[in-house]
Amino acid sequence: MMQLFGGALGQVLLVSILVGAGLPALVGLGIRALAVSDGGSAMVDDAAPRPALKVIGYLCFAVAVAVVVLGLIIIISSGFGYHVSFANGFSLVKK
Amino acid sequence: MREADSAGVTIELLLLILVIGTALAFDFTNGFHDTGNAMATSIATGALKPKVAVGLSAILNLVGALLSVEVALTVTNAVVKLQDSTGAPNSALLADQGYTLLLIVFCGLVGGIVWNLVTWLLGLPSSSSHALFGGLIGSTIAALGVSGVNWFGDGTKLDGVIGKVILPAVASPVVAGLVATIGTWLVFKTTVGVAERYTERSFRWGQIGSASLVSLAHGTNDAQKTMGVITLALIAYGSWTDTTSIPVWVKFACAIAIAAGTYTGGWRLIRTLGKGLVEISSPQGMAAEASSAAVILTSSQLGFALSTTHVATGSILGSGLGRKGATVRWGVAGRMGVAWLITLPAAGLVGAACYFIGNGIGGLAGVLVVLGIMVALSGWMMARAHATAVNSHNVNDEWHADATPSSSVQAGLAESTSKS
Repeated sequence: MMQLFGGALGQVLLVSILVGAGLPALVGLGIRALAVSDGGSAMVDDAAPRPALKVIGYLCFAVAVAVVVLGLIIIISSGFGYHVSFANGFSLVKK
Repeated sequence: MREADSAGVTIELLLLILVIGTALAFDFTNGFHDTGNAMATSIATGALKPKVAVGLSAILNLVGALLSVEVALTVTNAVVKLQDSTGAPNSALLADQGYTLLLIVFCGLVGGIVWNLVTWLLGLPSSSSHALFGGLIGSTIAALGVSGVNWFGDGTKLDGVIGKVILPAVASPVVAGLVATIGTWLVFKTTVGVAERYTERSFRWGQIGSASLVSLAHGTNDAQKTMGVITLALIAYGSWTDTTSIPVWVKFACAIAIAAGTYTGGWRLIRTLGKGLVEISSPQGMAAEASSAAVILTSSQLGFALSTTHVATGSILGSGLGRKGATVRWGVAGRMGVAWLITLPAAGLVGAACYFIGNGIGGLAGVLVVLGIMVALSGWMMARAHATAVNSHNVNDEWHADATPSSSVQAGLAESTSKS
């Protein structure tokens, strides 16, 4: 029992840290990239704008939104009795 | 004691109706007990107005519950042996139109409701699944003895009271706390030097999005438990036979009950989670909700059920630990920890006592006495709660440094009435 528990816990911990701490960091990075691209009053040090970084900012937000959509897919498919499997990329498996 | 009275209503039919009623009442308490798990941070940081937050959470719980197309009828199997692996009730309990099984389930639900109300009155967020399972374990032990409880399962997978309830409960606040600590630290690190005016809007949206995921997941997970319990009772009574589906009205009734409960808001618990543990800001709120959503979804994805309450609390604590200089009120956290430890045995004691009383007196009188006990205790606690009411107006009042969850409410109330 403890072995099973330890194994499951380890997996939950690993994936949760990756997604659960990665997501806020991604949003933080996105905000930073957009703020730096705007420059001026967006930054505490009133730096000059660097517009090229705008792309990176939106990219960060897009990935964050994609992760949230993945979460939605997991919830909705579990309601219909399906399990999202990542074994071969991405597929739905009947529970 | 089994004969029909003049109106043709048997004790078993009355018991069935009471089981359905108490199951829906439990679902309602489950709703308001857990509103704060998703929405406390958004309310505390002002990302959403209190009424909007509970409204959004209620809608998502309703949608989540209705999305549960495939409902497992084997919910009770995690902790007690009332059903076989297909979901059919244990035939030994089915004599007299399922009298024994119905009484066990009824008393278990009473235990769950009473304990949910006690912890709500004290402003201590505790797990509704622990309360439900605790009540069922207690009434099962009273009826069938200790061997009626599924302590470990068969050892091939995580199962039973230990594997599905106790171990996850110990682990979940720690895991969620760790994730939120790292997430909070990263959020502050990545946005150093960005003007606050600029960050606030994104963090608010991040918070609302992740809190919505938590609400939706809650609707799909928790309403299913009540749906399973009601269908079990219907099968035991003999008015439903299919073990692969549940009646449509059961699904709608449970979905509406949990959504209505969520909408009433459990303001006492929202206050403890949003104001009592940590003084929370938008970046912390976003990190906490992202952690909760990630931990809940990851663990259910891996077939490892965690209590939303334990996860949400751990996340909020973690968001305090991850921010330099933030105050974490360990006294409040400690009282919540104690409430978690005693939730299962306390609900179990209520469930067991109800079964002894109901079965001891026997017949109609026994059932009515148990019902009377539940109504009296619930009424008393609601009256007590009314004296120190927390609502959408005073939920965010300042938390006094050395207040307990319940006394802070009194202080908060005095303050808000003097202001108005």
